[in-house]
Amino acid sequence: MKRADKTTLKTHGSNGRPSKKRKSAVAELPSRFYGSPLPGVKPEELSGTLVVIEGTDGSGRSTQISLLTEWLESEGFAVQTMGLRRSYLVGEDIDGLLAENSVTRMTLALMYSTDFFDQLERRILPALRSGLIVLADRYIFTLIARAAVRGIGRDYLHGIYETALRPDLTFWLNVRPEVAFDREFKKSQIISYWESGRDMSLSNDLFQSFIRYQSMIKREFEYLSKRHGFIEMDGESSVSDLNRLLRKRIAAHLGIRSTHYRPSHALSHLWR
Amino acid sequence: MGTDTPDTLTVTETLSLKEPIPKRPYPGALVVVEGIDGSGKSTQLYLLKRWLEIGGYRIHFTEWNSSPLVKSATRRGKQRRLLTSTTFSLLHAADFADRCERQIMPLLHGGYLVLADRYIYTAFARDAARGCSPHWLRNLYSFAPTPDITFYFRAPLDVAVNRIVAGRPKLKYYEAGMDLGISLDRAESFRIFQERILTNYDQMIETDNFVLMDGTVRVNKLQKLMRQIVAERISLQQFAPKKK
Repeated sequence: MKRADKTTLKTHGSNGRPSKKRKSAVAELPSRFYGSPLPGVKPEELSGTLVVIEGTDGSGRSTQISLLTEWLESEGFAVQTMGLRRSYLVGEDIDGLLAENSVTRMTLALMYSTDFFDQLERRILPALRSGLIVLADRYIFTLIARAAVRGIGRDYLHGIYETALRPDLTFWLNVRPEVAFDREFKKSQIISYWESGRDMSLSNDLFQSFIRYQSMIKREFEYLSKRHGFIEMDGESSVSDLNRLLRKRIAAHLGIRSTHYRPSHALSHLWR
Repeated sequence: MGTDTPDTLTVTETLSLKEPIPKRPYPGALVVVEGIDGSGKSTQLYLLKRWLEIGGYRIHFTEWNSSPLVKSATRRGKQRRLLTSTTFSLLHAADFADRCERQIMPLLHGGYLVLADRYIYTAFARDAARGCSPHWLRNLYSFAPTPDITFYFRAPLDVAVNRIVAGRPKLKYYEAGMDLGISLDRAESFRIFQERILTNYDQMIETDNFVLMDGTVRVNKLQKLMRQIVAERISLQQFAPKKK
């Protein structure tokens, strides 16, 4: 274990000569897994960094991830991304279940966890073993929050995800439900069944349903934020301001000195 | 037969010592059969089902891994050998959750006698043999209702393995536990995998109140015993056809 800690230090140290102060900081870091690691995984092999961006629909996650990917690549870091329903194993099956609206809450929660672990084991862990930076567009926290508001026990959910990898940084882009509504409506001109929590029969008025559902999710996030030490960010600030703050925190973690960044032409439309 | 093969008589004795079944929040009842492949459990449950069907009882039969919901994912995962111990386990849990929430629970609340060929103990024994933590598995399935009776059919490993190998031209990849990398020989891998599962089952006899059934006993004799235990422990009258 001690040898592994030294390796981690070398990777993260700014000049390859870790000071004594840094060494003690690493020794106090929590384990890379919440509970026992996934079967067959050696935590000391994971030299990469896992950065999670959490937030409800319309909080600006995807925009920030596109920009951060470009910035990190321009700094010479290889990036891998993950997100919900992107696994080869069950990604499409979940899309199908959501389209039918007949799936029950427990089945859906477990399908999402299958989707999560398939990506974690087959894409994220190999990337972290190769020293990549993984940007996660949502993580276990959204899955826990969504299932918890539907009455599935928090301890039960934490139990399922205890074999998941603990992120190095978790950002929570916090927005008010009303702002999320405006943004989502602008994006798709219609409010979706699941985003408004219609399966929960909160209100026949879809605006009311959306606000109540997103407020419930937000309360779960407040609880999760305390429990897991999220870095809370104002999701209502401008794209460029938010991006600057995110870069600052990530740069500090990775030991990158310059945080200067201007989006390329391809991404300039996101820069507001 | 070695000394480790439990005989059924001892089982009926322990039965009477057991505490009464706790009150359930539903009027139905759940009877489960468990055991490794080739232990004779499906034959016995089929015969129990026939007995109850012929008598006109309100019953429903359900099987492990039968929901169309996750069939395509399971097939895809198995064909391309993408499943890890964790995703294998979660996919089966999702499948079970669908059956539990849309079939088993409504039927129990509706006053049915539900017969299940394999239940959560299959996942406990099999997925732990694949490397999942028993603690994690217990939590994963904690939403499942506890059976009123769990029959555990136990046959010596050689008997069970020979029954399966003789009846099947080729063992499937996951069925043989090839993903564990124990042996390149399928028959050998299957044997070792089943042995691990058997050990895990045995450990649950006490903790999960299994009713031990000797899978080497003659079919009709064993069925007689099974019917007797069901009649003793479940008030079948409440599932009987109503007289006009």
